[in-house]
Amino acid sequence: MNTIPITINDKKLDVDPAKTILEVCRENDIEILTMCHLKGIIDIGACRLCLVEIEGINKLLSACTTKVAANMVVKTSTERIKKYQRITAELFFAERNHVCSVCVANGKCELQQLGYKVEMDHIRYPHLFPHCEVDTSHPWYVMDHNRCIMCTRCVRVCNEVEGAHNWDVMNRGHQVRIISDFNTPWGESITCTSCGKCLHACPTGAIWPKAIVQGQLEKKPEIISELMEKRKMKL
Amino acid sequence: MDKRKLFISPVTRIEGHANITIELDDNGNVSDALFHVNEFRGFEKFCEGRMYTEMPTITPRICGICPTSHTLASVKACEMIQGIQPTYTANLLRRLMHIGQNLSSHALSFFHLSSPDFLLGYDSDPAKRNILGIAEKFPDIALRGIRLRKFGQELSERITGKKIHIMGIAPGGMAYPLTEENRKALLNWIPEALQTVQLGINIIRKFHEENTAMVQSFANSPTLYLGTVGSGGEHELYDGKLRFIDADGIILQDQVSPQQYLDFIAERSVNWSYLKYPYYKPLGFDKGFYRVGPLARLNVATRMKTPLAQKEFEHFKSIGSGKPVHGAFYYHYTRLIEALSDVEDAERILNDPDVTSLHIQHHGRWNYDEGIGSTEAPRGTLFHHYKTDETGKLVKVNLLIATGQNNPSMNRSVLEVARQYVKGDDIKEGMLNRVESAIRCYDPCLSCSTHAMGSMPMVIEVKDKKGELIKRLERF
Ligand code: SF4
Ligand code: SF4
Ligand code: FES
Repeated sequence: MNTIPITINDKKLDVDPAKTILEVCRENDIEILTMCHLKGIIDIGACRLCLVEIEGINKLLSACTTKVAANMVVKTSTERIKKYQRITAELFFAERNHVCSVCVANGKCELQQLGYKVEMDHIRYPHLFPHCEVDTSHPWYVMDHNRCIMCTRCVRVCNEVEGAHNWDVMNRGHQVRIISDFNTPWGESITCTSCGKCLHACPTGAIWPKAIVQGQLEKKPEIISELMEKRKMKL
Repeated sequence: MDKRKLFISPVTRIEGHANITIELDDNGNVSDALFHVNEFRGFEKFCEGRMYTEMPTITPRICGICPTSHTLASVKACEMIQGIQPTYTANLLRRLMHIGQNLSSHALSFFHLSSPDFLLGYDSDPAKRNILGIAEKFPDIALRGIRLRKFGQELSERITGKKIHIMGIAPGGMAYPLTEENRKALLNWIPEALQTVQLGINIIRKFHEENTAMVQSFANSPTLYLGTVGSGGEHELYDGKLRFIDADGIILQDQVSPQQYLDFIAERSVNWSYLKYPYYKPLGFDKGFYRVGPLARLNVATRMKTPLAQKEFEHFKSIGSGKPVHGAFYYHYTRLIEALSDVEDAERILNDPDVTSLHIQHHGRWNYDEGIGSTEAPRGTLFHHYKTDETGKLVKVNLLIATGQNNPSMNRSVLEVARQYVKGDDIKEGMLNRVESAIRCYDPCLSCSTHAMGSMPMVIEVKDKKGELIKRLERF
């Protein structure tokens, strides 16, 4: 395999040129925060948490969608990056209605963990407190838009892994919403196979099984990644 | 008529604060007294639109002292919606947690909030009439009180991993089992807890003996009582049927399913308080005052379930010669009798071979569009009533809480005490404290604010009819 030399946080590495900065970092135990990334599905660079500094480029770039290049010099944990991570986390919380204490995902939520990680002791932006639907129409699952961060992991998993494409996105800006079929109640969807993959992919308490209470939620996003690995092996 | 008003308002509390207004007539005699509850947290409203299964997690946030009761009432309403029952072991674990909460709440009420009055005296220095004053003069009692609370909290913590806003009580049962190690650790507490409760009982009985006249006459107007009883009329906190008795102890209704509560309880809003005023429907608003809580539970019960508590219960019954005991002061005593029964019952449950079984949850799903759950919170009977659409989304929520049911009686007790102890603008510290302690007898949800670290901080304003200040008194 051809490799190329790059430098991440002053560490010199020889890496596969087909990989993204994120992939290389994960393989080398270099921490990068992510939210919209889920191993196994296509990266879209939506959440902006994985931003890194690259020497010679003024903009911060998303590690999940940027391929490594020869002699690239990358920094993953500068003050500037930390500042943006904190801003991003705060905006997630300010945009919808998150009340962790009564949320089914309390203690098991990637967003909540992010809040702790960036030491988010308060939110500097005004909360939008939007009016959001709780879609309880599916017989087994709930979709609570109050807790959705628009990472679209559910959309991509449903499309790329299950092949059903029940989920999609409508509107723009802060009115953006995840929709089922052409914006019909989830329970009336003709494409949803009720496989539950979106539930495991969802990093927050937005999608959860009806049958459980706080403390009983088990989300296993890694089953998506494992499933995709197995498929590759069969090919 | 030139009416003057006397306000007693605690000022240090952000949430759950209450004010007392005492109205005086021209001669300085008390003409009326109102206990205002200003807290309104909108739970019923903002739960609409949520899944019913979220209620056992949302509603315990109503109160930091009785969260388990809310979770249990809620989870029972959910079980009615699903049409399922919890497993045997789950019921044991829930009972343990409920006992734990009742114990720590009663320990807080007695040792932290009220014992300074009994041990140091009502008219002692307000700066020292608190748990710190007790710690100084009676260190053993203060420590025991704190440890009894700790035992109560451990009963939850050792099952669910959390002391206060517990997780893991789910429709159909429990999310977590009890380990053998935790069972043993809890059993170790029993001897000490029994001793502490007995000590409390000795304190209160001694106080009764030394202050018989006051205790008997203190806020003692007769009311009806509501409480939960088992199938044989025995005292019950977790799961049973409702019993209403009248002021003479005649059973008005017995073995009423909590699901029928609306047949017997109606609610009316009043303009001076955010709390609704519930009353016993068959007798109407004017005659249907009833009380709930430990005094009510012991008044309605035929017997206690455990031997030591039964002995104490017999003594309690002898006070009223078998008839209901009305004096609000006896709330303290009945709280301790319940605490005794709690400890004995905890021991029985912890020795049940099934308590550590792993068969802890039955599973169900939405089947019916209505659920009602009830339980006995430390302060009295609690009802949760939900209506859902056919997907399980809540369309209506009614929560009938204990403090609400006691509110009409609290008003009346304040009025009675005020009449006895307050005259004109001659306001003495000891007198106000008795008005305040009339409220404290009921241990309303807001009590934690008012006496934990000292005398209730108050601003007292005597106002004339036009609202102009005649006299102002501050106590912090
Ligand atoms: S989804 Fe996560 S961050 Fe949002 S309320 Fe639930 S636990 Fe908190
Ligand atoms: S529902 Fe969950 S997975 Fe889907 S976009 Fe929202 S947060 Fe992401
Ligand atoms: S993880 Fe890279 S942008 Fe979201």
